[in-house]
Amino acid sequence: MVHDNQVPDSLKRELTDLTRAIDEVVCHFKKTQYPFEDSNEKVPEATHQLENITRQTEEATHRVLDMVEEITGGISDVVQDLKVLRKALPATYFKNRSKVRDTFERIVEKVEKSQDNAFAIMDALQFQDITAQQMGHTAHLLDEVEAKLRLIKSMFSDQNQNEQDSDSQHQSFDPNARYDLSNENQVRVDNLLESVKQGRTD
Amino acid sequence: MADLKILAVDDSPTMRRIIINTLKRAGFHDVTEATDGKDALAKLKVDRYNFVITDWNMPEMDGLTFVTNVRSSAEFSSLPILMVTTRSVKDDILQAMRAGVNNYIVKPFTPDTLKQKIEQTILNAS
Repeated sequence: MVHDNQVPDSLKRELTDLTRAIDEVVCHFKKTQYPFEDSNEKVPEATHQLENITRQTEEATHRVLDMVEEITGGISDVVQDLKVLRKALPATYFKNRSKVRDTFERIVEKVEKSQDNAFAIMDALQFQDITAQQMGHTAHLLDEVEAKLRLIKSMFSDQNQNEQDSDSQHQSFDPNARYDLSNENQVRVDNLLESVKQGRTD
Repeated sequence: MADLKILAVDDSPTMRRIIINTLKRAGFHDVTEATDGKDALAKLKVDRYNFVITDWNMPEMDGLTFVTNVRSSAEFSSLPILMVTTRSVKDDILQAMRAGVNNYIVKPFTPDTLKQKIEQTILNAS
């Protein structure tokens, strides 16, 4: 048996330093475990929020589409009624009524312009599909982060990881989806298609 | 051309609605929708279509797999297929052409582009 007074001082110092170092590592361990736990809970919450955003913007988009369809349907009816009215009037009706004729033509022009604007709103709503894909991509990336966090946590824990895998049934997505209104992409695609048809591909 | 019977395939309910409305404005009124490639294949087996518009990124069966499946059948070897998708990188487009897509539109699209591409596809197919 080694008595205390037989242990060299240098060894005592080494053991003390080692014990202190191990205590520090354990302390850091405990400090990092909390953020891991926290992140592990917050990541699914963030994913769930993204899915909520997609669902809610889709619902709102459909409400707008409902209104646009109602507006364009109503405008089509007005255009038809104007045509019927025009035909019902005698051919010479506008001959000495230039003001009436001009007003009639202005009404037709404004009505058609309103219909074009309503259709433009509908066309712009394509943004919802594109942003949904972008959020699907982000949710997928968060899933990957969550999986890595779980893996790291399992390395520190002596318990088996019985947590379920996160729900990976997200929106199908193109990771490069962009809402780009310029025609550049389509022009580039058309040029490539033309090259393919002519047997030229780089 | 107005009597085309079109199958429109997209997993996004928003896009299906926009595509159908745009087609109606262009004079194409006989349009059936499908939610993904699997649903579209099932519909192709039941009814006769003479034009298909399909997205690429879809669950169950994506657009590329759908097109490959369609082209593998002699019955649909010359069925005109227009792909409408956000994918615009060169390799994707070449992959789609190799799978049998006849024409290609990048989202977001204009109504004029959709009408023009349908007409162009029909013209090239005839």
